[in-house]
This record gives sequence, structure tokens and C-alpha cells, in this order.
Amino acid sequence: MTAPPRLTLGHRPRLQPFWDVRAACNFIGGGTGTGLIMVAAGAALVGGPWWPAALVGFACVAFGLGMVFLEIGRPWRAINVFFHPQTSWMTRESVLAMPLFGLGAAALGAGLVLGADSGVAIAALVLAALIAAGFLYCQANILRAVRGVPAWREPALRPAMLATGLAEGAGLFLVVGALASPTPPAWSLWLALLAVAARGAAWSRYHRTLHRAGAPEASLRVLDRMAPWVLGLGHGLPAVLLAMALALPPTMGSAAPSVMAGVAGLLIAAAGWTAKLLLMTRAAATRGFTVPHTPVRGRGTSRPSPAPPGWGL
Amino acid sequence: MTSTQAQEARRVPTFCYNCVAGPDLMTVRVENGVATQVEPNFAAKGIHPADGRVCVKAFGLVQKTYSPHRVLTPMKRTNPRKGRDEDPGFVPITWDEALDTICGRLKAIRETGLTDDDGLPRVAATFGHGGTPASYMGTFPGFLAAWGPIDYSFGSGQGVKCVHSEHLYGEFWHRGFTVCADTVHTRFVLSFGTNVEVSGGPCAVARHADARVRGIKRVQVEPHLSITAAASAEWVPIKPKTDAAFMLALVHVLLHEAPRERLDLAFLRDRTASPYLVGPHGYYLRDPDTGKPLVWDTASATATPHDAANLTPALEGRHTVGPAIERGPDDQTWHHDSTTGATAFTVMVEEMRPYSPEWASGICDVPAATMRRLANEYLDHACVGETIEVDGQTLPFRPVAVTLGKTVNNGWGAFPCCWARTMLATLVGALEVPGGTLGTTVRLNRPHENRLASVQPGEDGFMVARLNRTGRKTWEAKPSGRNAHRTLVPLVGGSAWGQALGPTHLAWMFVREAPQDWPRPTFPEVWFTYRTNPAISFWDTTQIAETIARMPFVVSFAYTHDETNHMADILLPDATDLESTQLIRIGGTKYVEQHWNHHGFALRQPAVPPCGEARDLSWIAGELARRTGLLEGYNAAINRGAGGVPLTGDGYDHSLAEDAEHDVEAIWDAICKAASADLTQGRDVKDLAWFKDHGFQVVPFRRLDWYLHPTMVEQGLRYELPYQERLFRVGKELGARMTEAGHTWWTEQVKEYEAIPRWHDFPGFWVRSLRDAGVDPEDYPFWAVSTKSMQYSAGNNAGIQLMHEVAENVRGTGRIVLNAGTARRLGIAAGDRVEVRSPVGTTEGRAEPVEGIRPDTVVIPGQFGHWATPYAKDLDYATLNTVSALSLALTDSTGSGADVALVALRKVGGTR
Amino acid sequence: MTRFVMVADLRRCVGCQTCTAACKHANATVPGVQWRRVLDMEVGQYPDVQRLFVPTGCQHCQAPACVEVCPSTATRKRPDGVVVIDYDICIGCDYCALSCPYDARYKVDEPTWAFGDQPTAPEAARFDKSKLGVTQKCTFCVDRIDSGLARGLTPGVDPEATPACVNACISGAMTFGDLDDPDSAVSRLLRENRHFRMNEDAGTGPSFFYLWDKEAGP
Repeated sequence: MTAPPRLTLGHRPRLQPFWDVRAACNFIGGGTGTGLIMVAAGAALVGGPWWPAALVGFACVAFGLGMVFLEIGRPWRAINVFFHPQTSWMTRESVLAMPLFGLGAAALGAGLVLGADSGVAIAALVLAALIAAGFLYCQANILRAVRGVPAWREPALRPAMLATGLAEGAGLFLVVGALASPTPPAWSLWLALLAVAARGAAWSRYHRTLHRAGAPEASLRVLDRMAPWVLGLGHGLPAVLLAMALALPPTMGSAAPSVMAGVAGLLIAAAGWTAKLLLMTRAAATRGFTVPHTPVRGRGTSRPSPAPPGWGL
Repeated sequence: MTSTQAQEARRVPTFCYNCVAGPDLMTVRVENGVATQVEPNFAAKGIHPADGRVCVKAFGLVQKTYSPHRVLTPMKRTNPRKGRDEDPGFVPITWDEALDTICGRLKAIRETGLTDDDGLPRVAATFGHGGTPASYMGTFPGFLAAWGPIDYSFGSGQGVKCVHSEHLYGEFWHRGFTVCADTVHTRFVLSFGTNVEVSGGPCAVARHADARVRGIKRVQVEPHLSITAAASAEWVPIKPKTDAAFMLALVHVLLHEAPRERLDLAFLRDRTASPYLVGPHGYYLRDPDTGKPLVWDTASATATPHDAANLTPALEGRHTVGPAIERGPDDQTWHHDSTTGATAFTVMVEEMRPYSPEWASGICDVPAATMRRLANEYLDHACVGETIEVDGQTLPFRPVAVTLGKTVNNGWGAFPCCWARTMLATLVGALEVPGGTLGTTVRLNRPHENRLASVQPGEDGFMVARLNRTGRKTWEAKPSGRNAHRTLVPLVGGSAWGQALGPTHLAWMFVREAPQDWPRPTFPEVWFTYRTNPAISFWDTTQIAETIARMPFVVSFAYTHDETNHMADILLPDATDLESTQLIRIGGTKYVEQHWNHHGFALRQPAVPPCGEARDLSWIAGELARRTGLLEGYNAAINRGAGGVPLTGDGYDHSLAEDAEHDVEAIWDAICKAASADLTQGRDVKDLAWFKDHGFQVVPFRRLDWYLHPTMVEQGLRYELPYQERLFRVGKELGARMTEAGHTWWTEQVKEYEAIPRWHDFPGFWVRSLRDAGVDPEDYPFWAVSTKSMQYSAGNNAGIQLMHEVAENVRGTGRIVLNAGTARRLGIAAGDRVEVRSPVGTTEGRAEPVEGIRPDTVVIPGQFGHWATPYAKDLDYATLNTVSALSLALTDSTGSGADVALVALRKVGGTR
Repeated sequence: MTRFVMVADLRRCVGCQTCTAACKHANATVPGVQWRRVLDMEVGQYPDVQRLFVPTGCQHCQAPACVEVCPSTATRKRPDGVVVIDYDICIGCDYCALSCPYDARYKVDEPTWAFGDQPTAPEAARFDKSKLGVTQKCTFCVDRIDSGLARGLTPGVDPEATPACVNACISGAMTFGDLDDPDSAVSRLLRENRHFRMNEDAGTGPSFFYLWDKEAGP
């Protein structure tokens, strides 16, 4: 017989045992996908190539939702997810997924049939991008509504989640662009640079705020360890690469800017994925229990409990 | 489950008596023939002190019943080699084969003789925790009684895992086999390591919870912040095994710092031997004609026998007395024409002079101010002079108590602890009165069910004490049992309980290797074990297991395979707690803190039929009796009371025909009727069917009978305190006997018989034992102690998943608990694997650093280290029992040793 | 109106886990699932340190985070304040479990038994497939409350209508009843004693009150 299971219950914050890499994939796929859809819509509006990026974007969102399907305990009841739009961000996210994919199918289909510059396709894609923004907003709020995990409950996480979705989209747009063309449009480089700067600022703010507000040590430890890597490899290095790509004189036939942009884009996206994966599966400590007073046993004394056990302030 | 189904379910009333804190009443829900839930017995609300509730252990009984690991057929061993590493090769056999095999052995023994050439019984039996197996073994005692001499010498942890010294001294001084606070009345409790919130059962837990809300102050003096310490008003972390110094300091404050009139001088004068005059040789000065101890009568200014009429004895002082005699050991008598006698009280005062809090502080690592404050708080709460009415009688009201826990209460240092505790009560008249320190039950005296009735006038104005004889002609030089309890421990008495409370580890040690001048006892030819696992629950369990492997023929009543029955030759599956029948006594006063306002009987009955081939132990006992030709003796024993009550009494006769076989139901029907008739004086006789429906029958029990004081007053008796003249004499005699017999290995123990206990360097006994083992004590800088867990204590339930699951919520379960600062210093983090090592052995476990423990102490809760018991062997729990030594040097005069060891600690890598 | 609440007297509780075990019996929860449990906590530094025992579980909040986030409406709050889960609707997304500030919810995907691969007889008899793959938690023994009420019993007074943990608690630490009834035991206890609620900053309005001292006298 195998050893009896060792329980992980207790009063200290513990790693949430519920959402694993499958759930993280929803935030990874959803963030990247919606970001990419939005960037693709931008590209469409400025007359750039958008179809492959849009396809990848919708696929990412679909992948994320598919992973959720695998995560939930009763997948064949998944339809019940629509029952509570009044307050549940998860219902809202699911509700938005419907028109998102409807418009996505229309945009991609029209683009395929009528051409990428078809007004119908572009209009559908732009509408889809608006929905995608809503979807991304829902995802950010799904975490924000989780009262049991202080690292997710922190309000500063919401802009960070939005920023990373956009940054991942912008980054992946560069990757898709690099595969399609040797010369990435400058605007996409500038957008990625902007997005990565915004995300860097938003994540740093989130990290700082969480420290200031207090959070389980287990969460802070993971975030602290992650920060230099994510900021360095996912922000600093891609920013340098992007700057170099922008600075390089356009040389006919040179793939250097495209490669640099593609690598930068991949780093940007991968940093977002890593951060979300760690946030979901490693830094997601529960809040533990706070007891403001110890009891007075007989004629003993009570003492206040200055901080929840297992918290870092 | 729907509520309709719930209503259709059957609730079966029964009891849990897994630990001595019981029995507690409960019901078992049975749905479609399957026991599913344990619930309180709500019918017992207002009757049972915990209102029919059971503790967490009882909830394990459902899994115990249905565990897939149960032994469900009789089995025999096929591998003749025994040992931990030997596969016993148990194979199923029929009941007939099992019983015939056992009875063949037994009959052969009867033919050769019930005792061996040295007079030691050829049959031995070991039962588990605190006598509680007797409440599960049905009529098996009838078989044992019919058999004849049985050796109960081989212990399973008593002496080290119980409050052993308290059993002996408590019962000697105030019929307190176990001792507790009168929690429902008290206001201030000094608790030295008493873990009552863990091992006190639902009744104690409920009483203490009520007391806390009422506003009691309980101060817990203990090296770690146990659950009881946690639930106390104050925790005083004390260095292990220094409690005696702390308590002697408290006595010092009361005697040397407090105004004398704050003590209960009347109580001391009238109810104790304080006024008895002590002569120059250390014995009472006695009247030459009557031999009675003398007191100094202040009215007549003469020395007068203590029981003379109209005395006003002097409590203190030295007085010139003559003529008088002193009676020493072995009838040695000193005649004094004129001599000076000091009162026993004065002798005590003088002996206590050196023990100031400042003196104790260095020993206990507790500030002197804390000890002084606590002594004064104790005094402040004692309410000397106040009274309370109980059942219409006015009694002294002294709401202060001192309680002692395991480790404080056994091994070296326990004698002064017991004495000082009892003296703290005595000095303020708080012994055996409302609010004070109370005994709960008797086991070394009879009748067991009524401690008050065990009080009879004995020598010198004290209650009778039946000590083992130490006279030249009366001493049992040749032991009648392998632990030599009658030979070595006068205080434990000669009963079966006395044997089980003797120095039971000596039986284990001596069958392996006896002292040179001591004949090595034989192994018993047949050894029965029931609800016990000494290979886990003793000191140095590695050695115990090796010794068990040398037992020639072991019959184990087996619930699952375990470390002890791993060495068995026959396994017998008996019906377990929810499957078997027995009527037991409930109520009155009993350990640990059961003080009822009722008493009577409760039935355990099969909530479900026995699983597999398991059989009720009463059936097994009957078969053993029949097949060994002892049926008549067995029935006669049941008629005499082996089933719990005699079957005949005033106005009733439910006795069994002695020459006939009786089925289990018929036997218990007769016992139910007899018990009920006895309880109600024949007015309301209930049979087995009635008990099955109702579960228990009770009648009122006077609260007045919680206290010994009225009995002492009624009989004009004194507590044998403070001066231990009798024990002093007995010790001298025992020492002389051992010297005469050439035995030198009990010398230290004999020295412990002091008239007034003194402080010796008790922690030093452990340090010296390390030196004697040839190791440097510096290498073993930590005190390792154990602590009980309500989930596991005495439950024999380490193989039950539910207990593991819920116990994991309690900090330290299965872990090695150490001070957080110490852990940092040693680079040990929570969950790190650490090794605890003594010269005897090692144990490994996960570290649990906490703030609530002394930096020099580690705690290893419970008793684990299983290697055979299914489920338990996979727990990976640490245990103190593999590092604590079986040692004569660490055995005190009562035959007990403390559950403590000096150890080294190191991280061994790996976490989980 | 009725609002069922739990009052735990921390002065009484000794962390024995009898309530934990009783809950597991009453609700046939599988190994590792503890709708009721007692926390064993420590506050302070040696030697100035205290240890306390805190019964916990679903706090049946007035503004339950679980109800708010539940996408399927499986989790809902009854008019009497009891928060329940409809196992037939729940999709097992665990969102509620994460949102709970009291770590009170569980999900079990596969049949789990006490001793290895096979259930014991009681486990087999009480196996409830509907609890697989969905979230589960303390219900305040709502079946007992409802069947008791239907029989004219009073929850918190009559054992048959009272949560199993309260019935089993050996220290008398736990009391259940109607907060809207000023004469109920819970109302009286809260009037007479100082109390707090855990993790109150989570803002969910828990219905689990902890007594820690008596009210200062007049």
C-alpha cells in the first residue's frame, strides 16, 4: 500500500489546490489571443496583414477555453456556465466568447473568401476586437474577484493582466509577422515597445503594491524570485531588440529586423505566459486565517494577533 | 442520504472505553445492517458528565470495524523462526484447530504444573492501557480465574506511559489512584504537565471548559505549550524533570514566607500526622504501653497518644518526652526515658528551609518571582476557613488544586512531586474537600467501585495500607511473578493490579539478562495478549520486540496484524468494539476526571454482527474453559463476579449452573439482571433485552461521595502526611533484605524511602546514565519528551485512517516538535527530516518548529514507529519509544521510569 | 426572519477534532475532505506565546463570495442564511473554492477510500456519486435542519435538528441557532460575550462568530 496522503490543510496560507496549468492556459490563451485579435484588428485598420494573426488569436482563445473544459469537474454540464451573468465574471467571459467566435468566424471567413481588405471582414474583426477587449477585461476581473487568494485579489493585478494580454498579443503579432514577412511594420514594433513598457510598469506596480498591502509569504517569495527574470528577459531584452530593430537601416533582403522582432515578440509573450503560469500555479497562496484576539482562558489574558500567520508585510 | 432513510436507520446505544478517561456513552447508527456513524447518546444528557458525548477516538470505531486489514479468521504461524524480519507466514485455520492447539498447550501445562521450578506461572497475560481491556474482554477474566496463577508481569507501557507514582502514593495517602482537581468548584489549579484537555476524556474537557468560562485560573507548568497549556491562563516553561524543585519551592513559600495562620492549621492538626512527634532515630515517638504515636498536648503539656480524648496537639515545636519508644525496622525498638521529639510538621518545616524559589530558579530555569507569585496566588485562592454545603452537609471549601502529569509523575523525582503536591493541598486543607485536590478511584485497594468503602482504620490513626511485606520472615525473597513486584515494591501491594503496576519492564529485562545475583526467570510457556502492543508502547521497543520474539508460544487476540502479534503463534480474531457484548459499571467517581451524579451500568452490544469469523471474547473464553476442562471453575468465577458483578446478592440469585455451558447472551442476561438488582436493591431489575434497548441504567450518586473528607472525619482518621515514617521504615527493611540476599542493584531505589522527600539532582540521573553508557552527555543536549494526542492516546488505532486524517490538523502529530529559534540555529526548517538520537536508538521524522516549546526540549507526540501494523507502518511518524532506555538506573523505587530521554538532534535531509 | 449562525467559544475549544470526525461521519465525506475542522494556531514568540484552536469551515456568509462568482448558480444562499450547493448544477469549475476567504471548499474528482482501492462497507453504502467533480462544503447539516423543522424541532436546541459538529463537541464550544431570535442561545452568547469574525476584511459577512472574552460587567 502506498503511504497515506499527507494533508495540506492548516491555518497558514497554502498553495491553492484547485486551478492548475489547465486553468492557467485559459488566462494564457485568453490573454494572448484577445491581445492578438486586438492588434490584428489594428493592423487591418491600417491596411496591414491581419488574417494569420487573427487566426492564431482566435485559436489561442479557443485553446484556453478548451483547457478549461478539461479542468472542470463536470465538463458535460459546461452549458451551466451561462447561468449567472448578474455577478459572475466567469459567466460574463463565457457569454462574450460566443460573439467573439461568431465574429471571428465571420472575419476569418470573409477574409478568406472576400479578401483581407474586405470591409465586411475588417468590420467583423474590429467588432471581434472590441469583444476580445471585453473578454480580456473579464479575465482580469475573474482573478480580482477571488477573495481567497490575496495575490489575485490585489486590485493592481487587473491592469497588469490587461497589459500583459495586450503585450502578449503585440509580441505574438511580431512572431506571426516575422514568419510572414522579413520587414515588420514599424508601428508594430513601436506598439510592442509601448506594450512591453506598459506591462513592465503595471507588473512592477502590482508587485510593489502587493508587498505594501501584505500577502502570504509564499506568494511574495515566488513573485520576488520571478521578477528579475520576467523583467529582464521579458521586458528589458525584448525592448533592446525592438529598439535595435527600429534603429537598423532597412536593408533589402536582410532578415535581421524581422528575426529581432520575432525573438523580441516571443520573449514578450513567453514572459507573460510564464508570469501567469507562476501566478496561477505557484504564487497562488490562500490567505490563511486571521484571528484578531486570542481567547481569554479563565483569568488569562488575550493578545492581539499582529499579522496573519504566514504573511509577509 | 435522504431524511427518510435517516429516520429508518437504527441507533444502537453502547459505550466507548478505549481509554481510562471513559467510559463514555454513545450510539451507533446502523443503516441497512452497516454501522455508519458514531453519535452522542442524547438520552444521557444530564446523566453522563459530558451529556452522552464521546471523544474523537470513538469515531474511529466504524473504520475499525470494517478495516480491510482486520484479521478475520483464526490464524497460525507457519514460520517457526520469530523476529521482526521474519515473515510469520500466518495461514487461516478453523476455530477448532486454533482452540485445540491452544488448549493442547494449556492442558500440557496443567499436567506438568501451573508454575515452574522457581514458582513462576507458566502462563502469562498482558493487557493494554490502564485496565480498560477488562471492559472489552467479556468473561475472559472468568477463564483466567479458573486457570489459576497467571503472570501479569510483562507490561505494555505502564510505569512509563501512565502517572505511575501517583497511582501508588495517591492511593496510599488518600485513596487517589489517580488525582484531579475538583474542577467544578475550584478556582485555581497548578497543573504540572497534566494534559487533561487531551487525556481527560469528554468529561474532563467539558468540566474544564466550563471552569474557564466561569473564570478559573489554571497555570500550566510544562516544558512545551501542550494543548492543556494552551487552554490555561498561564504557561510556565520549566526544564524537564525539575518539577520537584518547583513544588518544593512552593511548599517553602507556604511554610517559610507565609504567615502560619494562613495555613489550615486545624486540618493539619486534626486530619494529618503533623503533630506526631518524631524521635532522634527518625521514627515516631510512641507510647511504650500502647505503641501509639505521641503528640504534644498543649493543654496538659504532656506527650499523649494521638487518639486520646480532648487533645489540643501542638503542631510545631520540639518537646521533651519521656518515657517513649521508637519502632524502627525489623521490630528494632529504641526506648527513651527522656528525649526530644519534634513534631512531624516541624521536621518538615526544617527540611523545606533550603528550598527557596531562588534555589529552585537555577534548577528549573523559571524565575524565582514566578514561583513565589504562584505560591502566593495559590494561598490567596485557598479560602482557608470557608465552607460549602454539599448534599446538606457542611464541608471545607478550598478551591485550589495541584495536578501532575505523566513524566512529572513517574520515574526519579516523582516521589517528591507526589509528596509536595499532596502537601500543598494538605497545608491549606484542600485535600479531598470541595474545590481541592481529589482522588478519583482505587485500584490497589478494594472495592474498586467505591473508594470510600476502601477506607478502614489501620495503624497509627491512618487508613489501612496493604503494603507488600518487608519483614525478615514475611518478605517474598523468591518472586511469584517475573517483575518481582511483591519483592521490590512494597507500596504496590499484592493484587493482580499490583502486579500489573509493578516494575513491569524488569520482567522484560530479566528474561533477557538478569543481574548476576538474581535467577534469570523463565519465559512463560503460553503468553496471551489482548488489546496491547508492547512492541510499540514501551521503552526501547526494539529490544522489547526482540524479547517478544523469544516467547515460546504466544496467543494474540488480534484485530489486525501488529508488531507484537507478529511474533504470535496463534491469532484469534475477537469481535471488536461495535460487535461484542459486555455490561460495565459507569458513574460514581473514577479516573481521569469522571465525577458523576449517577452510577449504574452500561451495555456494550453488537451494533452489527461480527465481521468474518470474529467471535465474541466471552464465547472464546467459554470455549477455552470447556476445552481445558475448566468449565465449572469458569462458571463459578462468573458467579463470583468475573463478569463484573456477583450473580447472587441480597434478595437475588441469577447465578449460572456451574456444570453447564452457557451461551454469551445467557451469561450477559444473568449479569444484567444481577447488576440491575444490585443497583436498585431488587426494585427495578432489567434484563439484557432491556439494556439493549436502553443502553444504560443508573441511580443517583451523592456528590458528597466525591470527597473522602467526610469518611475521614467519620472514622477519625488522619492522612499519613507529612512525615513518611512507615515508608522510611519499609525502605530500611527492604534495603536490609536486599543486602542480606546479596542484591546490590536496587540500592539507589531503596535510598528513595525518605521520611521527608528531598531534592536530588533528578535530571542528573539521566546525565549519569549517559556517562555510564560511555558517552559524553554534551553530545546529547536536548531533552526529548512525549505528549499524548486525544486522537491516538490508548486507542490502539494508529491503523485507522480517520484518526490520521483528523490528527494531522493538530500540530506536531507524528512530527518532531522543536523550538523555532533552535531550529533556526540548527538550520532546520518546517518539514525537514530530522533524526533524534540517544545511545539506545534513533527515530526520524519531520521537524515542526514552534514558538511554544523550550529551546532545550523536543517533543515527539504519541507512540508510533510501527513496522507491521497495516496503514500505521506507512505513516512515517517519529516515536520517543525507540530512543528511551530500558534501564534499572532510571527506575525509581516504585518501579517506574519517566518518558524522557537526553538526545541529539540533526537534520538528515529530505522533506515531505 | 431566520438567520442561522454558528458561535464558537474559543475559550472552550481544545482542538480535539471531535467535531471534525463527527462531521465526517454525518456527511460521509471522503478522506481529505473536512467540511468542519479545527485550526491549531500560535501567536507570539517564546516564551510569550499563546496557542489557540479555531473551528472553521464554510462561514455561510451574508454576502458570500462563492455565490457571487459561481457561474452556474449552483451555489446559493437560502433565506435562512445557509449557503448550499446544488450538486446537479455545479460544473466543478472551482471558482467558488478559490473565492472563498475561508478555504472551506473541496472538490473530489475520483472515488477516494480510506484504505486503498476498495471502499469499506460504510463507504460503499454511503457513496454519493453526485459529489464527484463538483464543489462541496459544510451545509450546516441542512438536511438535519430541514427535517427537524418539518418535525417541529428547533435547530440548535433539539439534537435531531442541529449540526452534527455542535452535537458532538465535547467542550461545549459550538452553538448553533437563529441570530434573529433574540432568545436563542446564539443571540444570548453574542450579547454576553466579546466576539469577532475571522478574515472580516474579506467583506463577506460571515455567520461564524468567535467568542473570546466575556463582556465587561456593568
